[in-house]
Amino acid sequence: MHLPTQLSALLLVALPSAVRAVFQDEVGHIDYHYELLGLPQRETTFFHKPRRDDKASLLYTLSDVGVLGAVNPSSGAILWRQLLNGTITDGGGFLRAGEGQNWLASAYGQSVHAWDAVNGRNKFWMDFAGEVKDLEVMEMTENNRKDILALFDENESTVLRRLSGNDGRVVWEYMETSGDVPLQVSTNVEKVFVISLRGSAGAYNLKVTILDALSGKREDELVLGTKADVHDKDDVILVGANSAAPIIAWTDDTRQQLRVSVLGQKTRQEFALPADTISVEIHAPHIVQSQPHFLVHSKTSTGHTAEVYHVNLRTNVITKAYQLPFTSGPGAFSTSSNGANVYFTRITDEELVIFSSTSDTVLGRWPLKTTESRLVALHGVSEVVKKAGTDSYAVRSAAVTDTDEWILIRNGDVVWSRPEGLTGAVAATFVEIPESENLAKTLEQEAHSNPLEAYIHRVKRHLEDLQYLPTYLKNIPTRLMSSILGTEVSSHDVKLARDTFGFHKLVVLATRRGMIYVLDAGDHGKILASKRVFDLPTGQKWAVAGIKADDSTGIVTILGTNNDETTVKILPGTSFNIEVLSKGPEGSPATQSAALLNTVSGPRLFPVGLDGELQGLTSDILPNQVAVVRGSDKELKGVAIADGKQTVSWTFVLPKFQRIVDIAARPPHDAVASIGRVLGDRTVKYKYLNPNTLVVAAVDESTKIPSLVIYLLDTVSGQILASSKHEGVDPNKHIECAMAENWFTCTYFGQYRLRDGAQSLKGYQIVVSDLYETDKPNDRGVLGDAENFSSLGPIDAPGDVPLPSVVSQTFILSAPISALEVTQTRQGITSRQVLAYLPENHGIVGIPRMVLEPRRPVGRDPTAAEAEEGLIKYHPAIEIDPKSVHTHERDVIGVQKIIAAPAVVESTSLVFAYGIDVFGSRVAPSFLFDILGKGFNKVTLIGTVLAITAGVMILSPMVRRKQINALWGAPM
Amino acid sequence: MQLVTITLAFLGSASTALAALAQHLPQTSITISLPSAPPGDVSGKLFVFPPSTHGTLSTFGQTKSAPLSVANTLVFRNVTQGSYLLDIHCATHAFAPLRVDVAPTLDGVLEEGDGHGNVKLEVKAWQTYRGNDWDNKGEEAPRQTLKNGRDGGVVFGAKVLGEKGYFMERSKFSILSILRNPMILLGLVSMVIFLGMPKLVENMDPEMRAEWEENQKKNPMNALMGGGGAPAAPNFDMAAFLAGTSAKKEESSGDAAASTGGGAQQGGKKRRG
Repeated sequence: MHLPTQLSALLLVALPSAVRAVFQDEVGHIDYHYELLGLPQRETTFFHKPRRDDKASLLYTLSDVGVLGAVNPSSGAILWRQLLNGTITDGGGFLRAGEGQNWLASAYGQSVHAWDAVNGRNKFWMDFAGEVKDLEVMEMTENNRKDILALFDENESTVLRRLSGNDGRVVWEYMETSGDVPLQVSTNVEKVFVISLRGSAGAYNLKVTILDALSGKREDELVLGTKADVHDKDDVILVGANSAAPIIAWTDDTRQQLRVSVLGQKTRQEFALPADTISVEIHAPHIVQSQPHFLVHSKTSTGHTAEVYHVNLRTNVITKAYQLPFTSGPGAFSTSSNGANVYFTRITDEELVIFSSTSDTVLGRWPLKTTESRLVALHGVSEVVKKAGTDSYAVRSAAVTDTDEWILIRNGDVVWSRPEGLTGAVAATFVEIPESENLAKTLEQEAHSNPLEAYIHRVKRHLEDLQYLPTYLKNIPTRLMSSILGTEVSSHDVKLARDTFGFHKLVVLATRRGMIYVLDAGDHGKILASKRVFDLPTGQKWAVAGIKADDSTGIVTILGTNNDETTVKILPGTSFNIEVLSKGPEGSPATQSAALLNTVSGPRLFPVGLDGELQGLTSDILPNQVAVVRGSDKELKGVAIADGKQTVSWTFVLPKFQRIVDIAARPPHDAVASIGRVLGDRTVKYKYLNPNTLVVAAVDESTKIPSLVIYLLDTVSGQILASSKHEGVDPNKHIECAMAENWFTCTYFGQYRLRDGAQSLKGYQIVVSDLYETDKPNDRGVLGDAENFSSLGPIDAPGDVPLPSVVSQTFILSAPISALEVTQTRQGITSRQVLAYLPENHGIVGIPRMVLEPRRPVGRDPTAAEAEEGLIKYHPAIEIDPKSVHTHERDVIGVQKIIAAPAVVESTSLVFAYGIDVFGSRVAPSFLFDILGKGFNKVTLIGTVLAITAGVMILSPMVRRKQINALWGAPM
Repeated sequence: MQLVTITLAFLGSASTALAALAQHLPQTSITISLPSAPPGDVSGKLFVFPPSTHGTLSTFGQTKSAPLSVANTLVFRNVTQGSYLLDIHCATHAFAPLRVDVAPTLDGVLEEGDGHGNVKLEVKAWQTYRGNDWDNKGEEAPRQTLKNGRDGGVVFGAKVLGEKGYFMERSKFSILSILRNPMILLGLVSMVIFLGMPKLVENMDPEMRAEWEENQKKNPMNALMGGGGAPAAPNFDMAAFLAGTSAKKEESSGDAAASTGGGAQQGGKKRRG
């Protein structure tokens, strides 16, 4: 009964004929990968020594997309990464490290975890009921082990847990059901402080609960201040921890006064902030040994300044030590402590300066040397080292810039910069490099003038072109050599132009932080340009409703959901440039999606309102178009457009308890090479190729065990062409569909018993359905050879409905897949692959259509005719073969969407994936049949030709001599 | 076993509906221990599996994920009753999937793991085969004990199937592979004969040589091979030779062949032979 593992292994061996794997030497040649972390967050980024006795420290961060990672500060290379939530997040989370410890503590959502700082392995992972509000490492404990303090908000009650740093077990737990808002936790050597907000929104008081670090027993409770002077929890700027005298600082909502209190004391002190301050930050050391000094960084709209304060440990009095000069322009401060010494680093747009916390003398000053015109650091971390035996200092700072880059500045030089802004991408499209307009114009001009003039003009033009001949000739030897040796020609000074194979395309990428990137897919995904389209207020994300590229003009239009519209124009020329026109977001989200409609001047995007109404319709829209939109009750509506007016032509309302989980349509470029499939016996099954079809996947939750219903809709009439129901489908796991040509596929997690009751199944599945005109081969059904057909046409007899014949088959997958996409080639001759992201294996797989074939014979070997057709015996399981993983050994995390575009050569489809990481490659599902790949060894070819030539040269005199001897020799 | 699966499906949906209450259901911990080095690995490195290695326990309505720990284990905590599919995802190695059942003990057998509450949970694991019946279990996975596994619950070992090979081997150019080609071998042999024969003939003693040359003349193949240079036998009929009839027989069989064709000709030959 068992299927032995050897058999499945054999199947794996049998399949590779259908699988196109990556060759080792193609890595980095056909594909590119940006291994990213996301933008480091201010509170969760630091330098830390992973080994106590080691001098080298690493840079750790928990980014705004939820990636925890370690970076080598000298090279910028990633040492390890962990995606904490399994998917892209919207910031938040906590990351702390204990001084001299080889582990890091992190928390996100409801879980607290610890990681080995060197190799990134998990130390422990604990899930709790509440949401983590703060995390702190206790530097001093009774048993010389550093423990973790985690503050939770559990159903309106505040819970503080002390977790063992070794295995995460709860040492003690403190619970309080006062209804106060838990804010932060802090600790000094012997006490633990829980800071919460008491009162109601707009008028809070700060409450400090003092606990005994050893037992977790409550010792005291203090309410700071008499009147409710905390407006919002964002007004609390800092709660220091692990300092000899941790402080709490907050401001009034107009940023005029700074109030500071040493934790455990009832008194508070007030300091006036500089006039026009818009935001305040406080930087303080996090080590017990460090002097209790802190820096207050106040920003105004024109510049920034900072004041340094000292805390007297005996009297708990805070005094202002010195003030740094006001500097116009932006700046960032960071703290670094080395034993008792505390250093502050200031990065302005011109220089990097370090100070000691004790006096305002400048310890080191370096002008910033950047290639960028202006470097604006938003926040950073730094490490100051005093050079042994001298009075000089060295400093390295990792800072986040306003262009969403993470840079490391060492003594004023930018050592590396990581394009972390590429993470959190929300939309991307391929666009052709626009051809030079001049040539097109001249050609047009020639076509319209009289033949003689045109001839003279042409000769002149060619003579003019001769000026490029010397450089062309000069380049021939290098090009020839690179062609033979397989090296790459550096294209740095070469004008950006399309190539013969069509690999050289651009990718325009929009991120949720409001940045636009232009990547060169033909040159290892190099970032050609990046630009901030608009400044989004904190917490707001750029949501894109639709993106569209016009290949002839090089214009990319991006429609946002917040009434915003962005146009990126790629300007051809020697120096690459883009022009971005943008109408920033305003008001509340009003757009659900964008509809692509054909107009007189080509296809254009039109926003669709939340109620399903198309907006901004113009009269130049071509007639007879239907847009499918979601109505206000989540129903589907077909909207017919004529003369700039819209009428709802059909409405598709799902039964109660059903909700739509995914919709797939055929891609805009979906070339079909053949209208039929020739079977083994030379008969033809005709494909059902209706361009107006849509796959709607809906979950039916009316029964105890939910099921998945897949509808195939005609978008013109709204009629259901086919539907199928899959029982026992988990609605909480990925359900996604893709459609191309005459087939569609959906993936889901299924757990059910087969109808005959004999077997039950559990696992990730993929169902693929082929659509044919009729069940029978050589039969085109009711329509026959008719040139036209109408979805709205009357149906005379019940049997005459031109419904497709559907053949389906389900397979079990060895891993979940998401972000389905089908490869696209220019003519559609090449067989297709279903591209999908493996969220667990962190790769992109290409499942060949040959494997996902519903007509594979079940329970028997294929007949000779079927084998000739390429059908292999049905096996219910599809093991994800590593050879079909296009990302091979790369660890590509957080892919949200994959896009594909055809190249000029038929064999190849360009692929680009985005989300957290950015990955691009070229996929040839039927092998490279039209170009010579890297495997074509030109050196061997030339060598063979030379060897044969040499052989002929040597042998021909020999043969000639022999023949002459034979003729003249005596007859035998 | 049928009954169990049906109730499990029910439990799955119930647990999603009662997500808030899920924590009050009896829970246990399951630890999967990975080999410190896969079979055949001689590098001696302790951490062969990359830190991105993790395991998932999936069933209807929930998926639990556990990262690879410093102790080469995957620890799933707070696992409630159910029948789970355990997959281990690793970039470098492939692991066999397991079926893990967490069910209340039926007959008061001592519980395993740290089951809270009144219901004692028992954990069992089997090998499972994708694309086969869920109840079609392989051998039960043996339990292991960890040296310092105090709260990891039940421990099972994971089986490494093999290393993942992502790349295709490109066929390399080598002289040997060319020499192994039968066509090239044939060519080489004929070349040796072509070049070596005259040398051999020269070294023969005169008598044998004369005999051999006589034979050569008789052998009609020689005329074919020799080409234009050597004089062919004057009355040699190539067509007859290729048709398998000798020159002598040709004369007598000529008439029959002309009148009756192939079949009769053969018959005639037999009679005469």
